[in-house]
Amino acid sequence: MSFQRSNIEKQVQNIPTEVKWCKKCVISNQRPRIIFDSNGICSGCHNNEFKENGIDWKKREAELVELLDQHRKNDGSWDVIVPSSGGKDSAYVAHQLRYKYGMNPLTVTWSPLMYTDIGRENFESAINAGFTNILCTPNGKFQRKLARLCFEELGDAFHVFVLGQLSFPFQMAARLGVKLVMYGENGEAEYAGDPIYADKPFKPSEEWVTQHFKGVTFRDLLDFGLKNKDYLSKDDYCESDLNFYQPPTLEELNKAGIKGMHFYSYYHKWRPQENYYYCVEHTGFKPNPERSEGTYSKYASLDDKFDGFHYYLRFIKFGLGRCMEDAAHEIRDGHITREEGIALMKRYEGEFPKKYFKEFLEYLDISEEHFWNVVDTWRAPHLWEKKNGEWVLKQPIL
Amino acid sequence: MLTVESMKEKIKIAIIDYNMSNIFSIKNAIDLLGFESLVTSDKKEILMADGAILPGVGSFPEAMKHLYDRKLINPIESFISSGKPFLGICLGFQLMFEESNEFENTMGLGIFNGKVKNFQDISSEIKVPHVGWNFVSKNNTQSNYKDPLPKLKNKEHFYFVHSCYVDPTEEDIVYTTTEYSGNRFTSSVISNNIFGFQFHPEKSGPEGIGLLNEIFKK
Amino acid sequence: MSVAVRIIPKLDIKGPNLVKGVHLEGLRVLGKPEVFAKYYYEQGADELFYQDVVASLYGRNSLQEIISKTAKEIFIPLTVGGGIRTIEDISNLLRAGADKVSINTAAIENPGLITEASNIFGASTIVVSIEAIKQADGRYFAFTDNGRNSTGKEILSWAKEAELLGAGEIVITLVDSEGTGKGFDLEIIKKISNSLSIPLVVHGGVGNNIHVYDLLSYVPVSGIAISSMFHYNTIHHLRDLGGYEAEGNIDFLKSNRSLSFIQNTSIGQLKDYLIEKNVNCRKHERKN
Repeated sequence: MSFQRSNIEKQVQNIPTEVKWCKKCVISNQRPRIIFDSNGICSGCHNNEFKENGIDWKKREAELVELLDQHRKNDGSWDVIVPSSGGKDSAYVAHQLRYKYGMNPLTVTWSPLMYTDIGRENFESAINAGFTNILCTPNGKFQRKLARLCFEELGDAFHVFVLGQLSFPFQMAARLGVKLVMYGENGEAEYAGDPIYADKPFKPSEEWVTQHFKGVTFRDLLDFGLKNKDYLSKDDYCESDLNFYQPPTLEELNKAGIKGMHFYSYYHKWRPQENYYYCVEHTGFKPNPERSEGTYSKYASLDDKFDGFHYYLRFIKFGLGRCMEDAAHEIRDGHITREEGIALMKRYEGEFPKKYFKEFLEYLDISEEHFWNVVDTWRAPHLWEKKNGEWVLKQPIL
Repeated sequence: MLTVESMKEKIKIAIIDYNMSNIFSIKNAIDLLGFESLVTSDKKEILMADGAILPGVGSFPEAMKHLYDRKLINPIESFISSGKPFLGICLGFQLMFEESNEFENTMGLGIFNGKVKNFQDISSEIKVPHVGWNFVSKNNTQSNYKDPLPKLKNKEHFYFVHSCYVDPTEEDIVYTTTEYSGNRFTSSVISNNIFGFQFHPEKSGPEGIGLLNEIFKK
Repeated sequence: MSVAVRIIPKLDIKGPNLVKGVHLEGLRVLGKPEVFAKYYYEQGADELFYQDVVASLYGRNSLQEIISKTAKEIFIPLTVGGGIRTIEDISNLLRAGADKVSINTAAIENPGLITEASNIFGASTIVVSIEAIKQADGRYFAFTDNGRNSTGKEILSWAKEAELLGAGEIVITLVDSEGTGKGFDLEIIKKISNSLSIPLVVHGGVGNNIHVYDLLSYVPVSGIAISSMFHYNTIHHLRDLGGYEAEGNIDFLKSNRSLSFIQNTSIGQLKDYLIEKNVNCRKHERKN
């Protein structure tokens, strides 16, 4: 019996039907919340232009020092929490905070769905670079079912990870009395999302705790699952298992003095490739020993075996695979030209992540047939068509 | 860098083009020295030049075929008879001998007596090609010997890249020898106006360029 | 062995810029290749390697212009690699001024090319380059596209196969140590060297003079290609790095930093050290 999905995923509903590519980078207008101006240039490129020419970085650093001075503890206790994966971005931020600015960071990790070997290695190297780390691995039995729920109803198994990744650091901050939570990049700014949030040092608690990720709260998602999925029941978890999938309440955050989500990228020009170099030099970071599937890169997003499926489903939903995003970012940063980005996309965009496919199916406890049934329900009709029995993009990159 | 700026006409050096070489480097070196380089396979142009170079990279049989096809054998022989300076480099140097057994037995120009042989025929242990910087030792150290290239320092390093070596019949043309893998071979010959280098002067830095200057300046 | 060891600066070139990665990843711009090349020539380099790092993606090598520029003022051997696919590609590069060409992807996809090219241009003109990455079981496999795509070929047998097909030289890049300044895996180098009858050049990992000496004491390789150690030193010694075009990210250059894990050593200093240690190497004539 074929799979029918619900409509709780709200992002897919507001996408333009005609696909356009930014004239400067290679991102398409299918990305949720992206804005293209009348010249066909995307908001990501505009943010980048601003980053290059519109910001006094010396002034920004002074602001950072002022912020850190307010929070720095002289009694040796932790004064900043750095949400960490062991990847190059978080390791860079933690290292700078400690060794350049004299803070006492605590790194806090929400476990990937399934650690890769290189991810595990880098996670340990980051700790060995001099940081106490708290790792939380959620109830595996429960998480797998949630992941399946997210895969089926949100078109992204990885979403369950994202919930924890955003919430867990704040849960720790509130419990440990640390007021400052410093993320690396402001995703919305760096990846061409909503420019309203683009140039702010932090995202206030009241704004983000009530945000509907992909259009639905965790509670609503869980309730939907309990009601509609035979594989999920109240017996699969106890109430405390839910603790870290949601942030503390606004009252709890205000009481703890936690203002919101701070971004290191507000204070220092954010260049992921330079973070790579920095971490190779200072924190023992190693890139992937082979190319990451779906892209050409070896240094970004290495720690989760199932990462590839997040990007693959995004490719199905929005025609926006991993390579396009990596290329767009590297074009804006000046590392590669647009021509090169297009050539890379022609080679790697939409590549199926077959290396961990079997493990992914086992993780979600689904058959290959079910996997493809679900995937097909996420193919946006304005993007995909069947030609000679094969699914192809109606409007591929030029 | 050494430059020769002549008040009158520049010295013309013909670089014989027979489709077997990286002509560019030699031409650049000759130009840099202030000579007028002429990359050519035309008999008239070659004979009119003040000096000539036979370069070469590749295989002996292929090279000889090209020389035949372009009717260059006669111009080369005539030029040499003129007494003007003539330089053979690497494969160009080897071609000046009687024959070679590289790939197949092939006759050379026969300007010098002797054969071109393969290092591997001495021993299969010898790694080929002989590639890299090796030094040359002057063969004739007798006090009454008039050194045709006094500026060339004994034990100077030059760049070699070859799998075959020449075995001249006459000892007196041997100008320098070089040792490779325990074997001493002839790395350059000089006989009147004819010069032959197994190494590449145009690839041997300032010392090599200096040699070219010495040969062709008047 | 009377042949001097070759000290070879390797320049990774992307468009108009010299770039330098770690583990062959990353496109940090360090300056203009022709400026670096000239400096290395004057400092006594024995040879130069030019690698077009983006060529494989397009299936074409775009270094003709810089080769021609180089050949006008630099009179040491030049080996060029990156995106070389056909006999015509090789011919064009040689006529532009390259002395040798280095092939990787094309050699693996079409081994017959090695033989054909070797016959036409001479074995000594054809270099096969291998990007080696250590696998979980301890064996090294050959990769293409800057260590991105595995070929499934074990390097010892591939190197030997390349030799038998007619390659004149093998260049091995040890990707695991490349750009890290951590030194070499001497054991694998020894294994390769012992198995080959043609010259071997090693690249990837030199961080200080001792690495070079240790390698040469253990394995008599024909040449050592060095990138990071020289380039990061050069940027501090050249007053004019050549000016910057619109392409490329120069944040690192603007920051004026050095690399903590690389000894700042010039070619001249390395050679002085080696000569002092009685290593057979060509004495350089420094120009200032």
